[in-house]
Parts: sequence; structure tokens; C-alpha cells
Amino acid sequence: MTTGTADVRDETVEVWNGLLRLRVKVAGDGPPLLYFHPLPGLAWQPLLDQLAQRHTVYAPEHPGTSPGDPQAIAQVQTFTELLLVYEEAIRALGLERPAAFGQSFGGMVAADLAATFPALFGRLVLAAPLGLWRDDAPIPLMEMISGAPEDTPKYLFAHPESEAARAAMALPADPELIPKAIAQSTWNVGCTTKFAWPIADHGLGRRLHRIRIPVLVLWGRRDALVPVAYAAEFGGRIAGSQVEVLDDCGHVVQADQPERTWTAISEFLGG
Amino acid sequence: MKVTMFEQAPYRYTPEGFENNHSSVVTPPYSIVEPERMRESLFSAYAELLHAARTGFDGICVTEHSQSSYDISPNPTLLASAVACAAQAEGLDVAIGVLGRSLGKTREPLKIAEEYALLDCISGGRLIAGFPVGLSWDANLNAALPAVETRERYREHRELILKAWSQPEPFPWNGRFEKYGQVNVWPRPIQQPHPPIWIPGTGSPGTLRDILRRDYAFVYLSWDGPKLTGREVFDRYWELADELGRDRNPYRLAFLQVVAVSETDERAEKEYARHLEAHYRSGLGATPVTTLAVPGYAEPAAVEAMLRGAGHGGMLGRMKTATYKELVDTQVAIVGSPTTVADQIEEFVREFRIGNLLVMLQSGAMPRDLTEKNISLFAAEVLPRLRPIWDSEGWVNHWWPRGQGEKES
Repeated sequence: MTTGTADVRDETVEVWNGLLRLRVKVAGDGPPLLYFHPLPGLAWQPLLDQLAQRHTVYAPEHPGTSPGDPQAIAQVQTFTELLLVYEEAIRALGLERPAAFGQSFGGMVAADLAATFPALFGRLVLAAPLGLWRDDAPIPLMEMISGAPEDTPKYLFAHPESEAARAAMALPADPELIPKAIAQSTWNVGCTTKFAWPIADHGLGRRLHRIRIPVLVLWGRRDALVPVAYAAEFGGRIAGSQVEVLDDCGHVVQADQPERTWTAISEFLGG
Repeated sequence: MKVTMFEQAPYRYTPEGFENNHSSVVTPPYSIVEPERMRESLFSAYAELLHAARTGFDGICVTEHSQSSYDISPNPTLLASAVACAAQAEGLDVAIGVLGRSLGKTREPLKIAEEYALLDCISGGRLIAGFPVGLSWDANLNAALPAVETRERYREHRELILKAWSQPEPFPWNGRFEKYGQVNVWPRPIQQPHPPIWIPGTGSPGTLRDILRRDYAFVYLSWDGPKLTGREVFDRYWELADELGRDRNPYRLAFLQVVAVSETDERAEKEYARHLEAHYRSGLGATPVTTLAVPGYAEPAAVEAMLRGAGHGGMLGRMKTATYKELVDTQVAIVGSPTTVADQIEEFVREFRIGNLLVMLQSGAMPRDLTEKNISLFAAEVLPRLRPIWDSEGWVNHWWPRGQGEKES
């Protein structure tokens, strides 16, 4: 396992006919990799440091989730528009067939970008993506989002008490900063769920066949938010994709199984 | 001043301890319901509203909630329409308030335009048109609309309804949420260009400014009583009115208060205490706080202010275990003899300049005979003291229906 903390810088990309100034965190060196964050917004984390050892990591912030610019979300009216915004941003950044890694909500975004624009990415990692629905495997997204905050970890982690899980849920140490932090992450969830509510199904299942690039589908066997049944759904619909299911692992794979997650992703991207 | 009987339609037989096992909204289990008791609960709400109209209240008022055990009113225009028809048949001059159909929740805003217009026609121009956004659990969980779009949807729907009522010719509507080729609603309100518009809200500065700019009335449905949150919200309202060049006409302001009256203070406690406790515990007390603001419903600054404790007065979080003493001491409920009740109401009405008072006289499991006693006593002994409060200042209530229609006999 590699270690070390990357220098992360902020870039701003003007897109959507000047209506949006999309903020992107950038770190590392090497071939480009885009990271699409999950529902609560972008949190820089050890896995991204690891990826930055080998790649130039570009991590865009979903419109509305950048502090100080909450109403940016109003400029993106539909999920289709969100895909167009990201496609524009990738061109504006000058990235040629970057690798993409999308997680949960970000996995749905990355998968649909790959299906909509088949030449956009070179390789694709999907970690427990939203985007499909089966009546026999309901996704309790609404229950988690509107439930008590103390219940959230049980949807996300196989080991809610682990250091990584607690770090992922941590609030600022200074109590004075806590209300602002909660208000921001709450709003972020509002901005992402705009395109995932109440059921995150925009017909992706009917488009996945268009993806022809190498794809790794990574899932925790004990995922309590998006059940592991969806791993085979994605695998079966994307020809030639590789599905890896991690034992003793929940929705946030890098928190429950950091080493096996890193191994799977780095081998796939390095190969 | 104008005094209106406000009524929710609770299921009156929620089992004891309901609040410890269930949510009163979104997921209350229907298995607790006995059909005959549901019939009785719903019919009682109608009968009590009509009783209020008969005993001399200026108006009756209902509101909308889906998937709730404490207010079974998925479409309040149904109940309002029944009362409006009965009032016409009996020649009762009573305003019909619907507070309302939720504009941020609906997928069919023109249905609201049509239903309100029909109510205004049937009642002879006596409709008060409530334009609430809708509670987050209702709009974002029951109706499952994305929370972050709730207010955008509300604004578009309000604009569409107002245009549909007043534009003489059919018109196309190309909105963000709604698209129509030929909008031409039948009927249209008797009150033109529109019935008085009341906007319920929690008192955020943005909402209050919008209300004052458009010259609507603000309805504070606090359920907290005047003591806990009144000072903050009403002072802000009148200061904003000054700032925006609006007069301090008390009829710009409506307030909801839970009230229970009996012959003496002691009797009132004996008759109402357990019903009031049960009402708060199994209704608001069993509404999870997280369902009141699904992420995206309120902007970051508003969520931060909420978390820092503004505007709550502390009682909301304690509703699940509320005691009669707490409810009465905080004036969340005003309970007692006619004199006690009238004194307390008159004091805060004058202090905060409230011209339209809504009184909620049925709560939770309170049975129909006791509720009708409450209504009768209030009408006979409290209402006469309240009515002339603003007469000496000479204000006109521009936010009260004009009642231009003829009565059926």
C-alpha cells in the first residue's frame, strides 16, 4: 500500500454557457483519472492520495456542493443536463480519454457518461453505483436520507465502528463549526438527490450496452444501501466487464476494505 | 378581528404509546385503524366545523396532509366543500379557509386552481385561498418530489394559478415543471382577480418579504403558542413591513392557537389535559425532526440557523413527552375558563397585532361532544370579547373574503 498525502489544488472550469463555475480538486501526476463523488459531496481521502501517486486525479464537485455557491444547483435542471455539464467540463479541462472512477451516486453519473458518450473515457471503475432498480432488491435511499443521522452508518459500512468509517462520518472538532458543516453536507445531499429521488433510475439499464471500454465493477457483499445483487446486473449489461465482490464489506468499499479496494482498482487501472 | 375555527382531522383512536413505536407521518401503520372509528373520526371533523359555522365563527379552516395519522386530509377541499355547501343551504355567512392545497407538493397545479375556484363559487365568494409550500415530509417523502426543487415548483405553480384565474382568454404555459397548450379553467373565482391569499410559513425573512411585497397575508401556523416564537417572528414581520413601506394593518397577520375552554380553570384541566397531552405526543411528538427538512428543502444558511437553535423555543424537541403543565405554561395550548382564555388571547393578539385569529378547538382524541362544547363556549363567551379588538383603529381587512354571492335559501 502506498502512503503519503498529495498536494491538492482547486481549479475552476467555466461551463454551461458561463452559467456554472464548476470546482475541481486536482492532485498528483500521471495519466488523468476523474473521480465522481457520492451523495454527500467530495471528501478528499486516503484512496484519492493513493490514486494521485500514479495519476493526475481530477475530482469535480457536483453543482451546488461547493461552499459559497449553493444556488449553482438551480442551473442544472435535469440529469441529462448534468451529463452534458460534465462532458463540457472534461473537454474544457483538455482531458483525452481519461480513466473514470465513480462511487455510489458518482458511479451512476460516471456509468451514464460512459454510456452516453462511448468515446469519453478510457477505463471505468464503478464502486457500488446507483442507477438501476429491481423490485426484489429495493434501495433504501429515501429511508437513509430522511432517517435519523445516527442510523446512516449502518447503511454505509459493514464496520461502522472502524477508524475509517468514523473518519468518514466525522464532524469538525470545534463545536462552533459543526452547524455549518452539517448544513453544508445536508445541502450537498439535496443537490445530488435532485437527480436520484426517490428512485435513482433514469433508464441507465437501457443504455449500459453502449459501454465498450474496460470496466471494473466493485461491490461490498454486505452493502446495505445498494444490495450486492446489482453487481451482477451491471456486470451482465456491460460486455466484458469485470465484477469483483468484496467479502465483509459494505457500501463504502474503501472504508471497510481499504487494502483490497486499492489492490483491485490499482491492478485494473495499471493493467 | 376575525376568528376562524381551524380543524385537523386526526384518527381519534391511536393506541396509547403510539409515539414510542411509530411515526405519525409517512409510515404510520394503517393496521391500527378500525374502519368504523375512521368513519367516525372523519365525520366528526365535518360536524364540528359545521357546528363552528352555526355558532357564529367568522370562518372555518382546514389544511392538507397525506400519509398522516394526525391529519387525515389528503385533499382539504373535499371537507371544505361539504361545509361550504351546508353553510349555503343554511344561510350561514362563514368564510371557507383552505390552508391549503400545498403548491410545492402538487403535480397538478391546475386542479388547485379549479378546486379553489369551485369552492369560491359554491360559497358565494367566501374562499380564503391558502398557498403553502407544503411540509417537507409531505412534498418530499409522500409526494417524493426532489427537496431542492420544492420552492421553484411552488413559485411556478403560484404564478400559473393566479394567471389561470384572471386571464380572460385561453393561454399556453411553458414552465419548468408544467406545460399546457390551452389553460382555460372552469369555473373561475367569484372574487376577482383572486380570493384573498394567505401564505402559511415558519417566518423566515425571505418568505415574509415575499408575502409583504405581494400584499398577501402571513399565517403563522406555529403550534408553539405565542410565547416561544411569537416575539421573534412577529417583530421581524412588522419591521419588514415598515422597511417595505407596508402599513401595520393587523389583518396582514394570522396566527393559529390551540385553545380549550370550560366553565372553570379546574374543569378545563380535568376535561382537556389528557387529550392535549396525547395530541402533542402522538402527533407532532411522533413526527421525526429529520422529516421536517429533507436535505435540500432548506438552504444551508437556514439549516445552520435551525441547528444553532433559532426559532424553536425548545418545545418542538420535547413534544413526545409533553406534559399538560408544560403545554399550558408555555402557552402552546391556552386552556381554562372563558375569562382566563380571553385574557391570555387578548394580551398576545394586541401585543403582536394579530387581526386574523385561527383557533384549534379539537385536538387528538378529543371526542365530538367535548369538542362541540369547546366550540360553543368559545363562541358564546370568548369570541365576543375578541371581535372588537381592532375596531378603534379603523383598519379594513383586505384579506377577508368579500362574499359577493347570493345565499341559497
